[in-house]
Amino acid sequence: MNTILLMDLIKPDPNIAAVLPEMIVAIAGILAMLYDSFVPKQRYVTGAISLIGLAISAIFLYSMWGDLPETSWNGMVANDNLRMSFSFVALFVSAMTILVSSVWIDREKVPVGEYHALLMFATFGMMFMASGNDLVIMFLGLETLSIATYVMAGLRKGDLKSNESAMKYFILGSFASAFLLYGMALIYGATGATNITEIAAKVASPNFPALLLVGGAMLIVGFGFKVATVPFHVWTPDVYEGAPSPVTAFMMAGPKAAAFASFVRIFVLGFPLVASVPAAVFLHESWITALTVMAILTMTLGNIAAIVQNNVKRMLAYSSIAHAGYTLVGFIGAGMAKTPEARDAAIASVAFYMLTYAVTNLGAMAIVTLLGQKNDRRTEFEDYNGIGFKSPVLAFSLSLFMLSLLGLPLTAGFMGKVLVFRPALEAGNLMLAVLVVVAVVNTAISAYYYLRLIVVMFFRERTTDWTAPKIPFAIGAALVIAIAGVFYFGIFSNGVIEKFSKSAPIQSAQVK
Amino acid sequence: MEPSLSTYLALSGILFTIGAVGVIFKRNAIGMFMCIELMLNAVNLTFVAFSRYYEDVTGQLFVFMVMSVAAAEAAVGLGIIIAFFRNRQSVDVDDASILRN
Repeated sequence: MNTILLMDLIKPDPNIAAVLPEMIVAIAGILAMLYDSFVPKQRYVTGAISLIGLAISAIFLYSMWGDLPETSWNGMVANDNLRMSFSFVALFVSAMTILVSSVWIDREKVPVGEYHALLMFATFGMMFMASGNDLVIMFLGLETLSIATYVMAGLRKGDLKSNESAMKYFILGSFASAFLLYGMALIYGATGATNITEIAAKVASPNFPALLLVGGAMLIVGFGFKVATVPFHVWTPDVYEGAPSPVTAFMMAGPKAAAFASFVRIFVLGFPLVASVPAAVFLHESWITALTVMAILTMTLGNIAAIVQNNVKRMLAYSSIAHAGYTLVGFIGAGMAKTPEARDAAIASVAFYMLTYAVTNLGAMAIVTLLGQKNDRRTEFEDYNGIGFKSPVLAFSLSLFMLSLLGLPLTAGFMGKVLVFRPALEAGNLMLAVLVVVAVVNTAISAYYYLRLIVVMFFRERTTDWTAPKIPFAIGAALVIAIAGVFYFGIFSNGVIEKFSKSAPIQSAQVK
Repeated sequence: MEPSLSTYLALSGILFTIGAVGVIFKRNAIGMFMCIELMLNAVNLTFVAFSRYYEDVTGQLFVFMVMSVAAAEAAVGLGIIIAFFRNRQSVDVDDASILRN
């Protein structure tokens, strides 16, 4: 062990090109921070700097897709389809958040440079959660993301709701981080490695099999908090309701996707099924069963709780819990896949689901932000009464997003659901078949509250005066992107899916 | 006699449990935060114990990362708690109650 490490230290394997997308995002964040400290009164420049940084990063990410060594930096950074697809989701979410938040920046006195810089650092963390092939990198990515997001949730210092949201998010988030970290420590103890590839190689013959199991359980608790699955979801509705609307939009889509990236990498790639060793089979069975139970609970409780909500943001928070459950179905399918190709396709479907969810949800949150007025006061269902024909553009777009979240054919949500349910069905396992049935029943339940918002908008009388807000340019752009995305991913999803599952699969040698 | 690996693991397990129980039962935000710090340090102890057991420095490197992250988290966390205190004149989490069903 010592000699190997010494060799590594003598012969480091720096590959700047492999982490260039992440570095560009970080540099954009630093530039935004510096610009803001020299020119404090600006409103849009830091946003433009951030958007340009994200665009350049996306271009680099796209151009390096598939033609990099499997790992770089001594195996710490992976360059597989999982990393590329989830990094792309992170960049997309971040860019959309900048567009969505412009109206909120105009309305409230937000320290705008800090906000954009924090958003960039959070994106940097998300990208490292996707690319890290080592527990250390994943942990640092997660904390960079989390610490930036805690601050963003509490950005409206004078508002008690925002304070409360930040405090709850901070305490429960770092509580979850501690569990996650303990899991990582026990896995390091059980296998003597922090590298996912090495862990996968050691799973069949760990030094302490019991610690591996406990460590896996701790990781499930920690990631369960981060992706908001039942029974670790209690913080979600409060935090999402209290945080400023654009930040809520970001938190619903971004950190969830990034946490899924690490979650999938550790469990699907790090704990593969080694059929010849009973202990490894038991480990695999345990985490699959635990996640299946969690997925069923998450979907069911998320949807049932969403039905009784009277606040749109809270309803979307519970809906986001339910969507984490649907995503878990694809995740479990990836864990049960029999061939590396099927596994990669299942992982790509998870990334694609997060992308469709991000497109739809950010579109919906753009409208919620616009209609929310100062301090996000107008977010109850009754504030949407009868706006349908007074502001048809907003009402019809919001209806489209609700239908996509529901999973109506031709929308992104439908393709996303089909693709995440398929690998679970293909596994040919009774438990997974039951899981898919529960997921489909839940989709039907969710129709109630998504359609309710549409009914409220079009068929309720409005008692108070209401004038349709002017749609600012940035919100308009976000809506156009979201609507185009909903249809594009719903109808022409093949190209994206192929791209997501194409690049060279990593560690396929370990899965037998 | 030098304590064995299992002694360290038991100690860190106990510390971690004390921290977790503290977070669940304490109502004071600062106290909860201190319990979280206790949990992180219990994890550090686990890392160092395994690092010594395997004679491998990766675990110790991880501890450095955890300590720096904990410092950053403390800075941000105390800032958030102070912002809450300014508006509510309290650091009791039961007073954080406007966001409820």
